[in-house]
Amino acid sequence: MQGRTRVTAAAVVAMAAVAGTTVTSAQASDRHGGDDRRINNVIYVLGDGMGRTHVTAARERYYGADGELNMERLPVVGQVSTYSVERRSGQPGAADFEPNLVTDSASAATAWSSGVKTYNAALGVDAKGNVVPTLMELAKRAGYRTGNVSTAEITDATPAGQMSHVLARGFQGPVYSAASCQDTAVTGAPLPTSDVRVTPVADQIARNGTADVILGGGLSRFEASDEQALRGQGYTVLGSPASQTVATRADLQRASGRKVFGLFNKGNLTIEKFKRQNPTSAQAQEPSLPQMTRKAINLLDGSRGNRKGFYLQVEGALIDKRSHANDASQTLEETKAFDDAVAAAVAFAKRDRHTLVIVTADHECAGFNIIEKGTFTNAEAAAPPVNVYSGNTANNSTPTRRDGNVKDTARSTGIVNGAGSGDPANFAPATFRTPDDPASVQDGSPEASLWLTYLSGNHTGADVPLFAYGPNAGRLAGSIDNTDLFDVVGQALRVAR
Amino acid sequence: MKIRPVLALAAVAVVAFAAAAALTRVLAHPAADDQAGAVPAARTSFAGLAHATGEPTLPGLERLHPAPGTVARAPGPFDDRFTFQGLSFDGARVRGSATITSDVSDVLEFQAVAGFYDRKGRLLGTARYVHHADDTNGDAHSDAGPPSEAERFAIAVPKPWRGVAVSAAVGVPILVNE
Repeated sequence: MQGRTRVTAAAVVAMAAVAGTTVTSAQASDRHGGDDRRINNVIYVLGDGMGRTHVTAARERYYGADGELNMERLPVVGQVSTYSVERRSGQPGAADFEPNLVTDSASAATAWSSGVKTYNAALGVDAKGNVVPTLMELAKRAGYRTGNVSTAEITDATPAGQMSHVLARGFQGPVYSAASCQDTAVTGAPLPTSDVRVTPVADQIARNGTADVILGGGLSRFEASDEQALRGQGYTVLGSPASQTVATRADLQRASGRKVFGLFNKGNLTIEKFKRQNPTSAQAQEPSLPQMTRKAINLLDGSRGNRKGFYLQVEGALIDKRSHANDASQTLEETKAFDDAVAAAVAFAKRDRHTLVIVTADHECAGFNIIEKGTFTNAEAAAPPVNVYSGNTANNSTPTRRDGNVKDTARSTGIVNGAGSGDPANFAPATFRTPDDPASVQDGSPEASLWLTYLSGNHTGADVPLFAYGPNAGRLAGSIDNTDLFDVVGQALRVAR
Repeated sequence: MKIRPVLALAAVAVVAFAAAAALTRVLAHPAADDQAGAVPAARTSFAGLAHATGEPTLPGLERLHPAPGTVARAPGPFDDRFTFQGLSFDGARVRGSATITSDVSDVLEFQAVAGFYDRKGRLLGTARYVHHADDTNGDAHSDAGPPSEAERFAIAVPKPWRGVAVSAAVGVPILVNE
């Protein structure tokens, strides 16, 4: 009997222990979307200015109405609020909280990088000017490998939001200017030039070692002293800031080492459409966003001694820049390139099984919309955008329509359809064929099925889409705020509460 | 007394349940391992970095010697991003405009520096035009309205050199176009 009692007692205790384990695991799985594996890596892929319509329009343009972009295949879908705050505002809930409903890229970057609301133009500081650490800095300090990739200048708001702390995003470098960097409305009095908040972004990036892999544009922001500082920290520098020699795709392919710095254009990288149409140009030697993404992952994951994991941010910046210009053609093509970069990140995550991939945007840009054929209403009583933008030499592809962005009363009376909207010669919105259209249908024709319009040339306050894949991705489902992204990633990497 | 073994067993079971639950939670969610690091995550000082002592200039201004009545162009780091139009000097001010030719959604920062020269082509001094996109200071070039690719500027000859300056040179040390 005593033996039987012991066996029974042992069985009860064992069952209790198993029950405890099971209950706790179930709670964790439920809370985080059913996948609670340990996260080693986070890849944060951001389409600058990419609203919901950008995603839908790119899907319809390249894959048809029944198709899917790579990002749309991810299992978790959410939406993100993006508002910023005014200078000197408190955080949400504080008595001095003063929201600004339309963010810029800088305050948005600070929201997810540092978990605070700040004013438009601020990077790595809160609305009262206090320096706030970024996820990339926290990850670096915790021993993760880190990477920052962008098609913009690497000193531009989105990449700089992880690697610098300045009062004004325009203070990119290479030189100091009080007008560019001081903000006495925030600080009360000018700061000494030794203060990091008035130190050019390029100087900070070249010296703080926050990102191990830095790929993008903006070589003009860096000088010989920056190259010396980078090499002194062990970076392999592709091209040369000292001689202002841009790096090339071939340089990137050959690159190796724990720290790599490569800038492929003196300014922003070149739009995909121009490179495709001019394959022998110097710009066509730039790597694409998917190529930079794959290489960055390879450098970060393949490094010897990388036991902890990595944190990589990838930005498709030109979606926003072409949206500002109401340039639908190049906006769509940049969204496609961005989506191909998403595919590269997800392919790695599927192999690795311990990587969280987050795809989202910082804000919507330009009020992009898909309208029904023949229903064009020009809210600003100006002529609609041309299909491609040829206003400057960086974007010199041939417009489908010659004129645009001047008021044309024959096409639009403002708040109702223009009298001439039925006449193909007066044809209004930017239109594109899709794979569902008959082969004879041309871009720019009224027969093309995808009709696109814009409401403005600047950012809007619309929530942005979010897609996620990997362990704990379920935490990102539903409606979240952009500052929540800091918490989710910080907890995933165990670098923030 | 007969109840005691059952109570003891129940107590042990409860403890086992709690211990297992706690252990599982710890394994599933390791504590943040770097929250309390003694070293600040953000680097806010950089050894060896020379701090700025004034507004930017362009070294090329010293090397130029524009002829009387003319406006020369001083090289700068962003010359591949804009073109000058209509540069002129009337003895009192240099005028012109710069059109941004690289990808642009708006001009955030723009600064044109003018050098003014005497009859012998010697640099007398400099003055500047500053555009800073800032919606809090009533800047005419704020983010409101459609994106702009053009910057018109007029830079007056500073008082000490009025009547002495006969030519000018202009360059752009700062340009940020989003």
